[in-house]
Amino acid sequence: MPSSFFKPTLRYLVSLIVVAVFVFPIAWFGLTSIKPISAVFNKDRVVVFDFKPTLENYHVTVLGGEKASMVGGQSASMGTSGKGAYDGRGSILSSVIIAVASTFLATAIALLAAYALSRMRFWGAQGYLNWVLSQRFLPPIAIIIPLVFIFHDLGLRDTHFGIIIAHTLINIPIALLLLKSFFDDVPVEIDQAAMIDGATRFQCFYMVVLPMIRGGIAATAVLCFIFSWTEFILSLFLTNTIRTIPVKITTFVTSTGSEWGYISALGTAAIIPGFIFILLVQNHLVRGLTMGAIKD
Amino acid sequence: MASVKISKLEKQYGLLKVLHSLDLEIADGKFVVLLGPSGCGKSTLLRMIAGLEKITSGDVFFDDVRVNDVHSKDRNIAMVFQNYALYAHMTVRKNMAFSMRLKNIDKKIQDEKVAWASSILGLDDYLDRLPKELSGGQRQRVAMGRAIVRDPDVFLFDEPLSNLDAKLRVQMRTEIKDLHQRLKTTTVYVTHDQIEAMTMADEVVIMQDGRIIQSGSPMEIYDNPNSLFVAQFIGSPGMNIIECDVAEKAGVKSANHESLCLPLPSDAKVEVGQKIFYGIRPEHLTANKEPSAESNSSLTIEPGVVRVVEPTGPETHVYSKLAGQDVCSISRERITWSPGEAIHLQPDLQHVHLFDGQTQVAL
Ligand SMILES: Nc1ncnc2c1ncn2[C@@H]1O[C@H](COP(=O)(O)OP(=O)(O)O)[C@@H](O)[C@H]1O
Ligand SMILES: [Mg+2]
Repeated sequence: MPSSFFKPTLRYLVSLIVVAVFVFPIAWFGLTSIKPISAVFNKDRVVVFDFKPTLENYHVTVLGGEKASMVGGQSASMGTSGKGAYDGRGSILSSVIIAVASTFLATAIALLAAYALSRMRFWGAQGYLNWVLSQRFLPPIAIIIPLVFIFHDLGLRDTHFGIIIAHTLINIPIALLLLKSFFDDVPVEIDQAAMIDGATRFQCFYMVVLPMIRGGIAATAVLCFIFSWTEFILSLFLTNTIRTIPVKITTFVTSTGSEWGYISALGTAAIIPGFIFILLVQNHLVRGLTMGAIKD
Repeated sequence: MASVKISKLEKQYGLLKVLHSLDLEIADGKFVVLLGPSGCGKSTLLRMIAGLEKITSGDVFFDDVRVNDVHSKDRNIAMVFQNYALYAHMTVRKNMAFSMRLKNIDKKIQDEKVAWASSILGLDDYLDRLPKELSGGQRQRVAMGRAIVRDPDVFLFDEPLSNLDAKLRVQMRTEIKDLHQRLKTTTVYVTHDQIEAMTMADEVVIMQDGRIIQSGSPMEIYDNPNSLFVAQFIGSPGMNIIECDVAEKAGVKSANHESLCLPLPSDAKVEVGQKIFYGIRPEHLTANKEPSAESNSSLTIEPGVVRVVEPTGPETHVYSKLAGQDVCSISRERITWSPGEAIHLQPDLQHVHLFDGQTQVAL
């Protein structure tokens, strides 16, 4: 067989397998979310496609609808649920508020810091950078107890603002490091050319350098957003009534059983905002925006 | 427009001193080239004039106004960088208009200026492109356009042509010189390429290890290099240099290198036994197939052996071995040489350069 046929085919097959490995759990999760309970909990066999799809789980978790009574002859209520215990609307709203706000804050603060660290030489710059990064080495669980007390004393416990601050702080080091590397890619001559053209340092920052690293900013924002969107431990400890989606989902695992249908429905729905966000910025995600500024 | 004066300027990075007490005056409207090998501090000096680099000590004056503490943005200068430093997210038009936009200049005037600059630089058809959609030479022109729309007092160029291919470099060289003749803006141009310096400069300033070694018009420096370094740096092909001892025979001094015995000008200020460098430019060596009869010196030099012949068209470069030394001679006559042939070289004694063997200073 000619290699011109064989090689692309092989490459295609391998990439297909790799994609399948990554997509399978998500697909199964999504599939579970539209299965009736009888299909989820079938003792005898694994139900793949032969079930009657239902939007019941979404109806309850995402739209806050009432539980429909019986599906497939089995009781749908296995948990010790009060009314609205499976209503995820508040969680979705909280997650969106927290993720968007903390992403914005972390990116904005890290941008200013990263520009300074990339462009200005000052005493202890490297030490400062190392110190900021070292904050990220600490697992959140290590600081959770003092943090709970501090937040309690400051009245930040169980507030959106509190979690926004927590997520922002956790995100800043990684955002700073990333953005600094993007700034470092822009030659300083660009800043100098702008200043000779009559720009102040700040004009040079927001009129020239910032637009040149749009892609980097988008990439950083995506990372911050995803972190905040999926963060669990801080949200769990710092809130009681405000529940972000990851925390909310764990409450679907109760002493009497796990509501796999609801878990997978809310989980699948939770993928969507991140997905939309990435779609919006993906055009900017390509690096190489600085191309053409300098010699090749 | 402005004159630039530099007085006792020094620059130190930590313990490393890169500029040693430089003095330089650049008259209004002059095209001055800072020339030197890489690492000698040319860019540092230029950047200090631009205000991009802190001054360790000394002063910079524009028109007798001390500008040490004036921010770059207020110096009314324009600079073209080696890597062009274009604003990648802006079109050519916006790149050029950026400085005027910052000054809130009337949009109509901005457009006129951009149109004027782009027509001078041949960028009319590219105004709405992004820098990444341009060739190297076009980017170079945008960088220049950005500089000229400003009516700067001083133009600063830092090796602007070193990223271009040879042909484009020659073309841009002419364009920059032409531009200067039209605009008559004081220009400081940094390069390590002596041909660029020779062809463009009103005045060449030669730097070595953070010091100014010699300055003057290109031909002055070419004809009277004040040190061995300058002599070797300027000119292509370079000056032939032979290390010699001065000897005397029958009352006539000569410069000897092994078996080679070179004639000295009668007014040479050398003493017997002195070590010297004997320098002669290739075009001042006459090459003959036969020993020259009407030689203007009492000495005839032993014949050399032709190694390589390079005809360039108008002239022919002949590289030969003379008493173990590589020697180049240039002749405009069409003599056909072949490798291995004997060649009789005769220096024009009016154009012999002698340098002290120790200090390497011109004698
Ligand atoms: N930021 C810096 N820190 C330390 N040394 C520097 C710095 N910039 C330049 N130098 C040193 O200063 C000297 C002159 O550099 P430069 O002016 O760039 O040389 P040129 O432009 O003539 O090639 C070099 O030896 C270089 O290593
Ligand atoms: Mg340089």
